[in-house]
Amino acid sequence: MRSSFVRVTALTAAAAILAAACGGTGSAPSPAPATGQPTPAATKPQFELASYQYSIQTKGKLRVGTREDNVPFGLKNPATSKFEGFDVDIVREFAIAIFGNEAKADPDKFIEYVPVVSATRIPTLKDNKADVIAATFTINDERLKEIDFSTVYFRTGQKVMVKKDNATIKSVADLKDKTVCTAKGSTSEKNIAAKNKDAKLLLLDSYAPCLIALQQGQADAISTDETILFGLVKQDPNTKIVGDYFSDEPYGIGVNKGRTVFVPFLNKVIADMIASGRWAEIYKKHITPVSGDLKDGPHDKGRSN
Amino acid sequence: MPGAIVVEFPELFLTGLWLTAQLSVIGSLGALLIGTAIALFRISPLPPLRWIGVAYVEFFRNTPLLVQLFFLFLGLGALGFRFWTTDTFVAIFRAAAAGMALYHGAYVAEVIRGGLLGIDRGQIEAARSLGLSYAQTLRYVQLPQTFRSVVPPLGNIGIALIKNTSLASTIGVAELLQAAEIVESRTFRTEEAFGAVVLLYLVLTIPASLGVNWLEKRMLIAR
Repeated sequence: MRSSFVRVTALTAAAAILAAACGGTGSAPSPAPATGQPTPAATKPQFELASYQYSIQTKGKLRVGTREDNVPFGLKNPATSKFEGFDVDIVREFAIAIFGNEAKADPDKFIEYVPVVSATRIPTLKDNKADVIAATFTINDERLKEIDFSTVYFRTGQKVMVKKDNATIKSVADLKDKTVCTAKGSTSEKNIAAKNKDAKLLLLDSYAPCLIALQQGQADAISTDETILFGLVKQDPNTKIVGDYFSDEPYGIGVNKGRTVFVPFLNKVIADMIASGRWAEIYKKHITPVSGDLKDGPHDKGRSN
Repeated sequence: MPGAIVVEFPELFLTGLWLTAQLSVIGSLGALLIGTAIALFRISPLPPLRWIGVAYVEFFRNTPLLVQLFFLFLGLGALGFRFWTTDTFVAIFRAAAAGMALYHGAYVAEVIRGGLLGIDRGQIEAARSLGLSYAQTLRYVQLPQTFRSVVPPLGNIGIALIKNTSLASTIGVAELLQAAEIVESRTFRTEEAFGAVVLLYLVLTIPASLGVNWLEKRMLIAR
């Protein structure tokens, strides 16, 4: 948070000096639009007139497409009607970067939340109902044909879980002829079948019976997204997660195509929040309670809490 | 064309059909054996046997098949019983077949008991007067007539059993329903996958129905 403040101040100062020195090159925008309150223009970051972030600043609201029911990433708290979660805290940082100091106390004053579900994320952007989509949005080639993404701000993937005393299974490659339990109708089943066709899949309705089958030795391993495995290991401490991710789920912020200045701006905010430790704080707040580990950035391997 | 998706995933659907057929046949034969035995227990002159019969029927008829399947798979597993195999997939198939036989056996027992009770008391007295033992009376007088009269209700139970094998998918048997679920999750072609499975169940149940009807007619002629 501090670094973004420092950066904003520095940027403003730099812009002022530049404007004074060159007598205005046209790159320094007019002071912030009227929001009804007399706000000193110096607290607002200055953007290029042509940039999308400048138009957002002018309109006064950042429109964010996020989920209402996806713990721990995006959730509309039924008690307070406020949005919370990892994705939500990330976009609040964007709001602060766009609207400056004024947004720090309550970023939500500058954010308009647009609820989305998986299937409506791309249409919401394309119909211009949201400026950014932050909703566990995995970056992939298919989607890149339709929209643009920021850099990766969260990374997860599928892993393998075994009993603690299991020394033979160390990764997905060791699952040949082993019984691997996972839930029906999930991408997990597809991913294992693709990664190791010699694994024998025991498909049950959910992960609770999978855990019992693992405990009894009827299954040699369980495999699914790491965030779910974290929860299972918590239930049974005699288990462990092994190997590297064998499916990649890099989450990015979705943005409409053609925002050539806006996307690098978002990337800069993400990089700053990783550098300043703000990312680690958000991770600790939302992800550590389920994962039990700490991370400094999306590509960090993680360490125990 | 409905069911065309079967050709695209022949391995999944046909393995599923084969497993469903196997479960149905093994389950039906097992249910018939268990049901007959329990029915004889229930009409036995020995009270302990009758108690066992009553307990069996009430337990298996009054608890959900799904719960029984989970007990056979994970409950017995916890007690260390794995159906004489170390292969999990053989174990779950045997657990499913046992579940089908045990659960439907309770219904078969009640149907057969009803048939046995329907036989005129005078016939039994006549048989015993002729010098037939208790066992011989059962074997030559009561049971042959009983099986003839209970063909329609037994057919009902058999067809219900074929459809109930779909519950085996919950303990991981890769039968028809599970095949459809896998195809659905891979292709997102929900209507096609489940439509195909409905047709494949009919491939099993309609011949079974016709078989029961035919058997019923034959038994009428014999009577």
